[in-house]
Amino acid sequence: MVSAAARASVAASSLFAASLVLTLGNAPLWCLGIGLAAVGWRIGVALGRIGLIRRGTGLRFVFGAITAILALAVAANFHTLNGLSAGTALLVVMGALKLLESRTRRDDSIVIGVALFLLLAAALAGQSLWRIPLYLLTVWGAAAAIALVAHGDALFPTRAAFRIAGRATLMSIPLALLCFAFFPRIAGQFWALQRGAVATTGLSDEMTPGNIDKLATEYDPAFRVRFEGSLPPREALYFRGPVLNTFDGLTWRRARSGGALYVGTPMMPVGDAVRYRVTLEPTNQPWLFALDTVDASPRRDVYLTHDRQLISTSPVNSVLSYDATSHLVTHSSGSLSNLGRRYETRLPLDRNPRARALALDLRARTGSDAQFARAALDWFRTQGLEYTLEPGTTSIDSVDTTLFDTRRGFCGHFASAYATLMRAGGVPARVVTGYLGGEWNPVGGYLLVRQSEAHAWTEIWLDGQGWTRVDPTAVVAPERLQRGVYDLMANSLPATSVFFHNNPFFNRLGLLWDGANQWWQANVVDFNLRSQFDLLNKLGIDSPQWQHLGWAFAVGLIAWIVWVALSLRRTLARGKPDRVGRAWLRATRKLARVAGPRAASEGPYDFARRVAAARPDLGARMESLASNYARLRFGPAANREDVAAFERDVRRLAV
Amino acid sequence: MNTAGTLGSRWTSGLRQRAASWARRRQGDDQLPVTITTRRIYILPTRGGVAFGALLFIMLLAGLNYGNSIALLITFLLAGFALIAMHLCHRNLANLGVRGVAAGNAFAGEHGRIAITLENSADTARIGLECQVDGSERVTVSVPPDATARADLAVTLEKRGRLRIARIKLSTAFPFGLFRAWTWLHPPLTLLAWPAPRGRHEPPPETATGGNAPAVHRAGDEEWAGLREFRDGDSPRQVAWRAFARGRGLLVKTYQSPAAHHRTFDLSTAPGADIEQRLEQLSAWIVAAHARGERYGLRLERQEAAADSGNEHRARCLDGLALYGSGEPW
Repeated sequence: MVSAAARASVAASSLFAASLVLTLGNAPLWCLGIGLAAVGWRIGVALGRIGLIRRGTGLRFVFGAITAILALAVAANFHTLNGLSAGTALLVVMGALKLLESRTRRDDSIVIGVALFLLLAAALAGQSLWRIPLYLLTVWGAAAAIALVAHGDALFPTRAAFRIAGRATLMSIPLALLCFAFFPRIAGQFWALQRGAVATTGLSDEMTPGNIDKLATEYDPAFRVRFEGSLPPREALYFRGPVLNTFDGLTWRRARSGGALYVGTPMMPVGDAVRYRVTLEPTNQPWLFALDTVDASPRRDVYLTHDRQLISTSPVNSVLSYDATSHLVTHSSGSLSNLGRRYETRLPLDRNPRARALALDLRARTGSDAQFARAALDWFRTQGLEYTLEPGTTSIDSVDTTLFDTRRGFCGHFASAYATLMRAGGVPARVVTGYLGGEWNPVGGYLLVRQSEAHAWTEIWLDGQGWTRVDPTAVVAPERLQRGVYDLMANSLPATSVFFHNNPFFNRLGLLWDGANQWWQANVVDFNLRSQFDLLNKLGIDSPQWQHLGWAFAVGLIAWIVWVALSLRRTLARGKPDRVGRAWLRATRKLARVAGPRAASEGPYDFARRVAAARPDLGARMESLASNYARLRFGPAANREDVAAFERDVRRLAV
Repeated sequence: MNTAGTLGSRWTSGLRQRAASWARRRQGDDQLPVTITTRRIYILPTRGGVAFGALLFIMLLAGLNYGNSIALLITFLLAGFALIAMHLCHRNLANLGVRGVAAGNAFAGEHGRIAITLENSADTARIGLECQVDGSERVTVSVPPDATARADLAVTLEKRGRLRIARIKLSTAFPFGLFRAWTWLHPPLTLLAWPAPRGRHEPPPETATGGNAPAVHRAGDEEWAGLREFRDGDSPRQVAWRAFARGRGLLVKTYQSPAAHHRTFDLSTAPGADIEQRLEQLSAWIVAAHARGERYGLRLERQEAAADSGNEHRARCLDGLALYGSGEPW
C-alpha cells in the first residue's frame, strides 16, 4: 500500500508520461527521453526506491543551470523558441525538471497543468480522427489524476477516483458537443505561432525525368475532391499543378523570377462550369490543384498566375480546403504576345540535336501549327514507345535518349520530349505537372487522388484556339486515361501498397477509413463560424446572427445543467435505512409501548436493558435481539440468512 | 508585511464577518440533529479551481486563435468536467446529517475538545469532509455509506470562563479540489475554560466530617462499608475483582473510616494576589486532591459543593471556578 502522497505523485507523473506520448512526432525524441526519464525517476522516488534530492541553495543553482542548458538545447534544435514544436519541447523539458524537484501536492498539480498544456499542443498539432480516443483517454486520466492529487483517503481508492473521473468526463461530453456547435467562433488570429515544419511532398516546380516516377510509387493521398454535380468523365480529370516553362535539356523548371512574365491572353469558358471542393493534404509547397482550367482564385491568399496556376502566398502546411470552379473546355481567340511567344519557345541550342532535327523535319512536311502538333503526336504513336516506371538511365540530352535510345519512359519523359519537339518547331509549348484521375470513394462520395496519380503533360499554343492540352502519354499508353498507375504497373510498385490496393477487403476498409476521416475533416476539423450559421439555418433560423448562436448556446447550456443536476440528484436522494436498520426500527416501535421511544443516543444494549427492566419476561429475547442487531450492523459483513433470521425474530416479537 | 497586505486581509476579514452574520441571520440557530439542506450550502472555486479556469481560458484562446476544432473540443470537455466537479462537490455535502456536537472542557491555556458526529445516510461514502471552528485546525473525516463518523476538533482556550463557539464550518473540496462547498452550523455550543492549576501553597488541613459518606479505600483507616457500583475515576485497585469474576459486574469496595476526613477549599481564604491567582490556586488544589483520591469540598462565596470525590465532582468544582464572577448559575 503506497501512501496518499506517493499515489498523488505517481498519478501526476503517469499523466505527464501519457501526454508525452501524445506529443510524439511533435517534440524531438531527446526531449521525450528526458521527460520519460524524469517520470521514471519521480515514480521511483514516490515508491521509495530512490532517494529524494535535498533542497538547498546549491541545488537551486544546479537546477537553474540545467534549465538554461535545456532551453538553449531546445533553441539550438529549432533555432527559435517561438513555434509549436519548440514550445512543446520547452514544455516537456520544464515539466521534466518540475518532476525532479516536486514533493508537494502543489507541485503535482503543476505537473498536471503542464500535461494539459501538452495535450493542447498535441491537439494543435494533430487533429486526425485516430487521435481522438487518445485525447479522450488523456482527459479521463487528467480528471482522475486531479482527484488523486486532491484526495488521499482510505475510503477513496484509485479505482474510485477513475470511476468518478470517468463519470464526470462522460457527462461533460454533451456539453462539449453543445459548445462545439454553438459557442461563437471568433474568426481571425490574435497571435501567430510558427507552425512546425511539414515534410515536403508532392510535385515541385522542377521536373527531371525520373522524379515524377518516384512520386508515382507513393500511395499517400494528395487531395480529395467532392463534386457538386456528377463526376466529370474520367479522361477529363486533369488536375493542374506547377506549370514549367524553362528547359535546359534535362530539367524543366518554373522560372523563379516571380510575377507575370508576359500578359496572359483572355480566356473564354465554353460549356457548363464544374464546381467542386478540394481538400488538400499539407505539402509544404505553395501549389494548389484545380481541374483544368480553373476560372478564378478560390481564396484571398491564393493568386492566379498568367499561366493559370494557383499559387498560395504561403506553403500549405496544414490541411487546406477550397471551393473552385472550372471549365473543362475553354477557348481563346486572342493572340499570344511576342514576349510570350519568344518565352515559350526557348530551347537550349546545343542540347537534344536529334530531337530538334526530327522537329524541323516534321515541321517542313506540315502546313500549320495544328498539323505539326498532330504529326508529332502520330510519331509518338507509331514509334512503339514503351510506357514504364523503369525507363533506365538518361543523359543530359534526355529527350534524345528517350526518343531514340531507350525508347521508353514515364509521363514526364514524354511530356518533356513532346514540348521540346513543339518548341523546336516554333510552336509555344510548356510542360504542366499535376494529377490525372483518382479513385472514387463510394462511401464518402468523393474522388481520392493519390500521389501515384501524379502526371505530366504539355500545353501548346494554337492561334485562334489558345493554350491546348496535349498529353503524349495518352497516345503512348491510352489505358492510362482510364486507370491509375497502381492498376497498370503493379510490378514496379511497393508490394504492401499494391496488396492493399488490390485486395478487395482491405481496399474497401481503406476507403471506409478514408471516408470517415474525410467526414471528420469536413464536419469537425473544418467546423467554423460559417458552419455554425449553416447549422442554425438547418435548425430553422432564416438569417442567422450572432445572437441566435448565443440563444442556442444558452438554451442548451441550461438544459445540460438541469440534466446534470437531476442525474446527480438521484444518487443524492437521502438513503433509506437498509433491511437490518428497518427491522430494528420496527422492533423499537413495537417496544416503545413497553419502555417508551428509543432515544437517539441510546445504543441497542442500553435500550434492551431498559426494556428488560420494564418487562423482565422479555429479558432473554431482548438480549439476543440487541446482540444480533449489533453484530449485523457493526460486525463483519452480514450474510442474507442472518439478516432474514433477524427480521423473523423482530416479526415474532410479541409485546 | 506591507500595508497593502494588511489592508487587504482586513478587508477580506471584514467581508468574511459580514458573510458570517448574513448566513446566521438567514439560517437562524440550529437545533441538532440537523440535515444540511442544499439551501445552506455555499460553493466557490478553490485556488486550484481558479488556476484550472485560467488554463481553460488559455486553451480557449488558443483554440479560437487557430480555429482548431479539436483544441476547442478538449477545452469544452474540460470545462464541462469542471462544472460536473462543482456539482459533485456540492453533492458531497448535501443531505449530510450532523447528529450532535459535544464539548470537552479543559484548563485555560490548553485545548478544549469539540466532537462533531456526522451521519451519512446516502449509499456512497462522503469523503474529505472538513470541520473547523474559529481558532481550531481543520479536521478531515470521511463517512462510509450508512454510517457515522466523528471529527474531533481541538480549540485553544485562552482565558478562564465560558467560550462560545459561534459557528462550525463544515466544508469539502471533494472530489477534484477545484471547488469548495461549505456550510455554517450554529448549534448552541460552549466550552468552559477552567483556571489553569497553578500555585504552590499548601492546601488547607483536613477536617473530620463525622458524616456517613462512605469513601473509597485509603491506606490507614479502613473499616469495611460494602460495595457500590463503579464510577468513572475509581481506581482499578479498588475494584472488587472477585465479585466481578462471579458475574456481578464492576463493583468497588468502600470503607468507612470512623473519622472520615476531607478538605474544604474556600475562595475567601485561598492565597493569591488577585482573584484569578486565587482561582488558579483552588484549581491546583482540586487537581492534587483528586489525584490522591481525597474527598474535598469547594466554597465560592455563597455557593458550595459538598465534600465528595470522583471525576464528576472534580468537573463540577472546576466548572464552578470557571464560571466564577460571570454571573451564570453554577
